[in-house]
Amino acid sequence: MKPYIAYIRTTLRLTGRERIVIFFNYLFPLAFLIGLGEIMGPVPVFALVLTLNILGTGFFGAGMRATMDREAGILRRFKVAPITPGPILVASMVTGWVVFVPALIGFIAILNLRYHMPLPPNIFSLFVFLSLGVVAFRSMGMIVASVVNSMQESQIIVQLLYMPMLLLSGATIPLTIMPDWLQTVAQFLPSNYLNLGMQGILLRRESLAQNWQAVAALLATALLCFFVSLKLFRWEKEDRLKPSAKLWVLAALLPFVIAGAWQVYDRGNLRKVQILAHQARRNVSWLVRDARIFTGDRVIERGSLLIRNGVVERIYEGDSPSASDLNAEGIAAAGKTALPGLIDAEVVLAMNAGLKPGSMKDVSAAAENALAAYLYSGVTGIGSIGLPPQIEKLVESRFVSGEKLGAMVLRSAVAPAQGPCRMTELSFSQASAEREAGDLSLLKETLVEEVAPRALLTRLESSYRDLEPHAAGAPSLETAERSLMAARAHGTKLAAATLSGTALLVHGPMLHHELRLLVQAGLTPLEALRAATSDAADCLGAPRAGRLGPGADASFVLVEGNPLEEISSTERIVEVFLHGENVHRGALVEKK
Amino acid sequence: MAPEVAIAVSALKKNYGKVEAVRGIDFEVARGEVFGLLGPNGAGKTTTVEILEGLRPRSGGEVRVLGFDPEDETMAVKDRIGVCLQATRLSDKITVEESLQLFAAFYTRSADTTALLKRLQLWDKRKAYYTTLSGGQKQRLAIALAMVNEPDIVFLDEPTTGLDAQVRREIHTLIAELSDRNTTILLTTHYIEEAEQLCQRVAIMDEGRIIVQGTPRELQERVIGKSRVEILCHNALPEGLPPGWPAEDAVHFSPGRCQLVAETEYPARAVVELVKWVDGCGAGLSDIHIKRPTLEDVFIELTGKTLRD
Repeated sequence: MKPYIAYIRTTLRLTGRERIVIFFNYLFPLAFLIGLGEIMGPVPVFALVLTLNILGTGFFGAGMRATMDREAGILRRFKVAPITPGPILVASMVTGWVVFVPALIGFIAILNLRYHMPLPPNIFSLFVFLSLGVVAFRSMGMIVASVVNSMQESQIIVQLLYMPMLLLSGATIPLTIMPDWLQTVAQFLPSNYLNLGMQGILLRRESLAQNWQAVAALLATALLCFFVSLKLFRWEKEDRLKPSAKLWVLAALLPFVIAGAWQVYDRGNLRKVQILAHQARRNVSWLVRDARIFTGDRVIERGSLLIRNGVVERIYEGDSPSASDLNAEGIAAAGKTALPGLIDAEVVLAMNAGLKPGSMKDVSAAAENALAAYLYSGVTGIGSIGLPPQIEKLVESRFVSGEKLGAMVLRSAVAPAQGPCRMTELSFSQASAEREAGDLSLLKETLVEEVAPRALLTRLESSYRDLEPHAAGAPSLETAERSLMAARAHGTKLAAATLSGTALLVHGPMLHHELRLLVQAGLTPLEALRAATSDAADCLGAPRAGRLGPGADASFVLVEGNPLEEISSTERIVEVFLHGENVHRGALVEKK
Repeated sequence: MAPEVAIAVSALKKNYGKVEAVRGIDFEVARGEVFGLLGPNGAGKTTTVEILEGLRPRSGGEVRVLGFDPEDETMAVKDRIGVCLQATRLSDKITVEESLQLFAAFYTRSADTTALLKRLQLWDKRKAYYTTLSGGQKQRLAIALAMVNEPDIVFLDEPTTGLDAQVRREIHTLIAELSDRNTTILLTTHYIEEAEQLCQRVAIMDEGRIIVQGTPRELQERVIGKSRVEILCHNALPEGLPPGWPAEDAVHFSPGRCQLVAETEYPARAVVELVKWVDGCGAGLSDIHIKRPTLEDVFIELTGKTLRD
């Protein structure tokens, strides 16, 4: 034990005296942090500097350093002392870790203070995971040191390992933009597991257990590499390695060959990459400036919305602060209106416009497209009727995880909402009547043409007469309007609901049509908007949705004009945000 | 319980592939003795020492260091010996004191580092970084490191190679002090004077073999046996030799007969005879030199080559 403590203490002291250590572990990443923090957003830049640090400490800090010490003849003196390589290797690990911890804490502090990154929720998991990363990469560095025979060789091998691992880690260049084969190659690199685990813990609040593959790969590497470098340790350059000893290095690569092969088969990591990309976009800070803001309850004529980490942090009434002062991306929104993400309180996902998909597999695919179409149309929440269990499972696995983007399913039960609520269902009445009359004007609306698959529209045109009527039947539009106004007079809460999915009602944009019908029936635009936001949320038992206020989920729509005067303005969508992510709308419906 | 023999080597062999670095050597070093391994570069000295230190396996023969086999009981041997390598290098920014404390932690027994620093005149430099030390200070530190465990045997592998004359003298004094404390020392060198001055016994190695061993004096006497006595006079010496001069001792005169060189096994008696003769003939004695045969002479005599080539 005594040699271990003494060697560790000495190595720590010597490391503290090296300016290059301070530079590469603290100043260099700090420059990246400050320089790229604004462009990349806090979490990606955090992942980037941590990856830089861990790869650097492994290959340069441990690997090159050990080679240098040996080539300079410093280790030789220790060879004649009664010690094994154990203290030297352990000291290298401990030192790397001790140097890393202040960097980690410093980065978190800077990102928290300057870029408002929240403190990582699973901080213990993050800490353990990164520590494991430091030990694993330093062990790899020590193996490199053991096999090379000169500084030149060391430089070549270190660069050959460091550069691809850095570039394909996913922390520098998003893996999603790389060709498939390169993404597959990345699955064999330890750095990719480091990055995935790290981002999973940071962005998705995962624990160590949820990242067991990355943890297992790093742990196996750490142990194997440590053991192998103990075997291959060389005290002086004259100790030549037998060429066969270099085969041990292959053993050290084994965990990643196995993990990579599994990923090629399973593709779980590639899915996770998609999820993390969305998560990263959710963590960008935004300032929507000088907009009219409808909060779900009232209207602020001119104000600004500050969005951070997927949540509305603050609403500034009147003059807007500067976006750069807040380290946020600014969106000029004068003349535009910000609305809470719209909610369609009743939709039927099992079919689309009255057409049923052929198989269960198609049901899932259709539901997936439907949720995307809602989001495209500025509808961020739906109440689903008769949601088949396989869709529930799909939604759970792909939308809640963030792999896919689409409207949130606020309540999947058919049970009536608490309190007196009335589903408006005017579009449903109109659609029933128009189907009877052979009028297809509902399919001709702009947004419908944008979101509905061409094939679906063609099929509807030819076979609308065979469409199944909704089981409950529909009252005429006039009856529905009258009964709606009566309910309103009673003070019943109104929830905008289209029953999209039923005959002629295409998933996605029909809520805008419903809003127009509501105003036509006699509601004020404000009442209509409430019915499609806060009131709908209340009726679906999700009172936190459908509102814009400090602490609310940042799912909202920015539209051109003023829907409080002209309700059809809701269709003039400029931006859609989901959980703080500026949704790339085109990508939601492009695959037709 | 300590064996009287500190190091015992018999029929030691070491091959590197087809190269025979050591070709069967035998020697013993007694406790408290200073033993010198002398020979030119590539004679096999360092290989021999490294085998004794437990750094290399041997190809054949028997070796005992403090009763242990350095190949099988490496740690036991390393724990009780001190080693000053041919070239010691430490990290640039380790201080003198830290390096001693670090190495002290590796051994079961450890010396008082303060005393050690003072003895080796490194006390004032204890806070200095290694890189700021002079060559002599670095070498003293290397010797201090070799003594940090109060070793039973100290191996000094060419401790003065590459150092200037003054530093070399400093190191010699240090080694002499060490031997006064009854530490067993095995010294390798290719400096003849060093071996003559410091070692109680010497083995001369060449091409992997020990060609001769004994005390420096024994070697000198056994090999050549004759010293040279040189006399300088103010005036020319007369013709002939001193009366009763032994016929086997050759005497050479310079052309002007002002200088005389005599070769003899008994230089003391020869000097007395010669001085008496010079005085008697009024030549006026100006200077006397007695030159004993050196190890260098021994080496040249035995191998036909010089040590430092």
